[in-house]
Amino acid sequence: MAFYAGLDSETYDRQYSNKALLSRIWSYARVYKKQIIVILIAIFLQGSIGALPPLLISKVLDQGIAGVPDRSVFYLLAGLVIIVEVLGFVFYYINHRLLARVIADVNRDLSTDAFAASMRQDMAFHDHYSSGRILSRITTDTRDFSTFITITMDVANNALQSLITAIILLNTQWRLAVTLFMIVPVVIIIVSFYRSLARRFTRQGMRAMANVNATIKETISGIAIAKNFRQEESIYRDFKQTNDVSYEMNVKRGMILSVVFPTTRALGGIATAVIVYTGSNSVIAGLISAGAWYMFVLSIDRFLQPVMALTSYWTQVQTGLSAAERIFALIDAEHTVIQTGNYIPTQVRGKIDFNKLTFRYNTGKEVLKDFDLHIQEGENVAIVGHTGAGKSSIARLIARFYEFQSGELLIDDRDIRSYNLRALRQHMGLVTQVPFLFEGTVEENIRFSQPEITREEILALAYQIGDGEWLETFGEGLDTLVGERGAQISMGQRQLVALMRVLAQKPSVFILDEATASIDPFTEKQIQTALNLILKQSTSVLIAHRLSTVQSADRIIVLDEGVILEEGNHEQLLKSGGYYADLYNTYFRHQSLEYVEKAGQIFHSKQNKISSSQDKAAA
Amino acid sequence: MSISEFAIPFRYKTDRSTPGRWIVSHAIHHWFIFLIAVIGTIGNAALASLPAVQFGVVFSTLTGGSPNLEVIHRSVLIILISQVARGVLQFGRNFGFEVLAQRMERDVRDEFYIALLGKSMTFHSLQSVGDLMARATNDIREVNFLFSPGINMVLGSVNFLFIPLVIGAQINPALLIAPSVFIVAYFAYIVHYLKILQPITSKVRSTFGIMNSRLAEAIDGVETVKAAAQEENEIELFRQNIKAYRDASVEQGDVEARFIPLLMLALTLGFGLLHALFLFEAGTIPLANVISYFSALSLLGFPTNTSIHSYSQISLGIASARRLLAVMNAENNLDQNESGYAKTMRGEVVFKNVSFPYEGHKSALQDISFQVHPGQTVAIVGQTGSGKTTLVRLINRTYDPKQGQVLIDGVDLRAWKLDALRSQISIIEQDIFLFSKSIYDNIAFGKPGATREEVIEAAKSAQAHEFIMDLENGYDTIIGERGTTLSGGQRQRIALARAFLTDPKILILDDSTSAIDSKTEDEIQKAIKIASEGRTTFIITHRLSQIRWSDLIIVMRKGKISEIGTHEELMQTSRAYRNLFIED
Repeated sequence: MAFYAGLDSETYDRQYSNKALLSRIWSYARVYKKQIIVILIAIFLQGSIGALPPLLISKVLDQGIAGVPDRSVFYLLAGLVIIVEVLGFVFYYINHRLLARVIADVNRDLSTDAFAASMRQDMAFHDHYSSGRILSRITTDTRDFSTFITITMDVANNALQSLITAIILLNTQWRLAVTLFMIVPVVIIIVSFYRSLARRFTRQGMRAMANVNATIKETISGIAIAKNFRQEESIYRDFKQTNDVSYEMNVKRGMILSVVFPTTRALGGIATAVIVYTGSNSVIAGLISAGAWYMFVLSIDRFLQPVMALTSYWTQVQTGLSAAERIFALIDAEHTVIQTGNYIPTQVRGKIDFNKLTFRYNTGKEVLKDFDLHIQEGENVAIVGHTGAGKSSIARLIARFYEFQSGELLIDDRDIRSYNLRALRQHMGLVTQVPFLFEGTVEENIRFSQPEITREEILALAYQIGDGEWLETFGEGLDTLVGERGAQISMGQRQLVALMRVLAQKPSVFILDEATASIDPFTEKQIQTALNLILKQSTSVLIAHRLSTVQSADRIIVLDEGVILEEGNHEQLLKSGGYYADLYNTYFRHQSLEYVEKAGQIFHSKQNKISSSQDKAAA
Repeated sequence: MSISEFAIPFRYKTDRSTPGRWIVSHAIHHWFIFLIAVIGTIGNAALASLPAVQFGVVFSTLTGGSPNLEVIHRSVLIILISQVARGVLQFGRNFGFEVLAQRMERDVRDEFYIALLGKSMTFHSLQSVGDLMARATNDIREVNFLFSPGINMVLGSVNFLFIPLVIGAQINPALLIAPSVFIVAYFAYIVHYLKILQPITSKVRSTFGIMNSRLAEAIDGVETVKAAAQEENEIELFRQNIKAYRDASVEQGDVEARFIPLLMLALTLGFGLLHALFLFEAGTIPLANVISYFSALSLLGFPTNTSIHSYSQISLGIASARRLLAVMNAENNLDQNESGYAKTMRGEVVFKNVSFPYEGHKSALQDISFQVHPGQTVAIVGQTGSGKTTLVRLINRTYDPKQGQVLIDGVDLRAWKLDALRSQISIIEQDIFLFSKSIYDNIAFGKPGATREEVIEAAKSAQAHEFIMDLENGYDTIIGERGTTLSGGQRQRIALARAFLTDPKILILDDSTSAIDSKTEDEIQKAIKIASEGRTTFIITHRLSQIRWSDLIIVMRKGKISEIGTHEELMQTSRAYRNLFIED
């Protein structure tokens, strides 16, 4: 993950100054100030006493050289070693438990804030930024940041260990200590060289692996079709080739990664040899005792390991900080839809007025300009037009998903900006083009917008549609599990559940962005029934794709580039032979029963004369 | 595995009885690399202990009155050479295990894939592709990790457990006590530790999974959430989900904090040191040996610290191997029937009292009987879950009926040679799968030797030629590359062209596309019409125009045929059917 840090930036990302970033991080950590202090103390104690055993042993050794010391010294030494190690364990225990809590808590706080921010963000934001990337900020980045806390503690621990060891060594014999310190820059250079090498290979490898994985996935998805055409051998060849490429690449990457540790290991060995040699000379020269020499030798690893670790931490610290920056950017991203009032309506009648309204998405060109549209209470309006005509924009402005730039939008003669948004939306029902269901049962999904409704009420509603037969086809009725995003049930069934949701909610304003998916004719009939039930009780704005929906509207609006070209009902508009008649020929003709009858002559007769009969079907 | 639809032999025979044996039966083929890795491991550990011994040697000469410079130089040289050599051996060990792990991944995936190819269509129609992909990528990667770092770390660190034994025994057999007790207690604890850790780590994973999937849903469905004014409820739900995850993580942290071997190590070091000092006091061993012994005991720290990770890696790998084997060993219930009936099909299809109870599935069939004459077009209509797809899958023997029989040209399907049967039937599935290759290759897929003229001819018949030529690279356009996305109707026509090339006698079309505009609809209608000419055609369709003009219409409802007949007949007999053709 760290290798891709910075590669997927978004326009809402911002650069925080170091000070701002740290104080922001601190605002999350502050809550756990006490725990953090205890952890730091535990780390400090663990680090300090860790340096003791070599010191103790060297003292005893010096006594041992002088002659066999008293038994009590042995007991003391062994006792001290045990005490030191046991205390080390106790500090590890305290530290580990508290750290696990602090990390889990900070992770929880951060992801909850990030999630809450993204839920409260405007639709404009969600339309613009991919959900996958928002998701990765809420989970992956917060986790990277938690790792950063662990790393910080580890850095503290390692730095302390090196420092304490360094001080003791300096105090014992500075010349020998300096000899040891001279190895540090060499270690740092070598470790960072490998690090950049490994990173380059890993990055290349990751890109290549992404391709390989995609091919492996494809050859597995393709097995069914290969069996259908008896082409198992050819698909196996594709698979085999990719699998072998993947192997070669992994081995190459593995080789680079396998070099790092042994190299530093060998380096540590050379350092040991140098210290053993120069140390012995110091002992012979009488500069230090043999015990002190032994302590030096024992301390080499204790000193070098943290130094090596520290060099590798640096990139992880950077990863952690940039993760924090990305999370904060998500939390701080500005909203564009701004309410000026907080009016909570007890009831909404459903009168909608667009007065000279102008709207554009972000920096794009104007979608609606000086747009006027007046919808009466209880009226059903269908909006038709080509893709990009601005149909959805009208629906989304009414749902207050977007901010408009000028003009007015009134609901019940009151500025839409003056409403409490949550309260207003409780009186609105919306069905999206791809109806979205959440994992859970059919009942839970119907209840989504109206948590108080009882099962009996839901059943009563369900039986208004085709005597509830649609529920029987679910297997478990209302208790049927719909799967993640509703994937376990068909598109038509999802549509029905979404409409049931609206029926349960009984909104004053109903907005439908109709599905373009194909639905079996029986389910389609039931959807039509459900739709008719809703239309009876609400003011409706229908972005229509089905002929029957258009026909059931009180008024059809023909929209093109944000301008209303024609309005009226189906028969009137078709008769007048204008834009609507054109649209009908393009989008709706094949849905008519007339077409179904003609299809027999057009396609199923011996001669296929399509073009000549096309216009006739429309007329 | 004697029964399989398609058989490529894997390069060598493996033992699929248990996960452990299976892994070993693979690894054994790379014994040479394993040997190098093990030599690296043992050599590395052996050389790691050398400095400890040399410290003692140097120490004794330094304290022995007149220090022997030659001894010191020799020791320094030994340390220098041995540690550089150790680096080389360690590389051998790490790289050896790495290569071994990668070869395991390659071979295991190869064998797994071959096993998948050998599975029946029944198997593939029941198995979710997502699940198979997860196994072929993640689970196989876990088997890789089992070797590197898993076994690498375990073998590497276990070695260090035995160094104190070796050195202790050399100095004085009595010194074996402390490390022996530690080793026994250590392994006993590891077994216990893994047992308590496993359920907790799986809880961490499952709580994260629950949180993550709802989170993803809430963000994808944010429009629905906002429209229903449910933002605050979703945030509350998230709080609950993340709390469960947080609690599980803390629980894992607590278990890890109680890692007793660290405490055992403390005691071992203390008592070991004391023991050595007593022996020194008694004059049994020199002071230098105390040093060597204590240095060796300190090496126990390495395996103690690494054990947490490496053992659970191995148990994860075994669990994954078990999941892979479960798929590979799954029963294959159809046979090739090599000596069966294999004549050219006429295309007469008869269902006689066919029942197919489908455990745990809604798409069961009950007592289905009908007859289709060669060349007829049959429309199958019904709601999702009414058994339409199951019905057509009985025709190419993806499934066998549990009762009754399906006959083609009067011959029971079970008497047909499977290859002859399948090669004369083509199915176009609801979710059309196209490879990320050129359109040309996709069409030619079923007939690798096809000429360019044949491919273009097929595309023309499928009404696909025109839109293919409109693409920038025509037939050479790579599907899925640089935003080349095809609409459902276009994919369907490419699939039709693919089927045309193989000229099947029976065509089964699961048609769920929906044309956005009337022109596309005209083209799809025409393509299907051409497709159905001269062959028996089954169409699962939503299109009234297809239903209207079929020779036979079968209306399915809850696994039974609720209506069957021609359009004219059904208009007379069925109110539900008649309703479809009435505007409201």
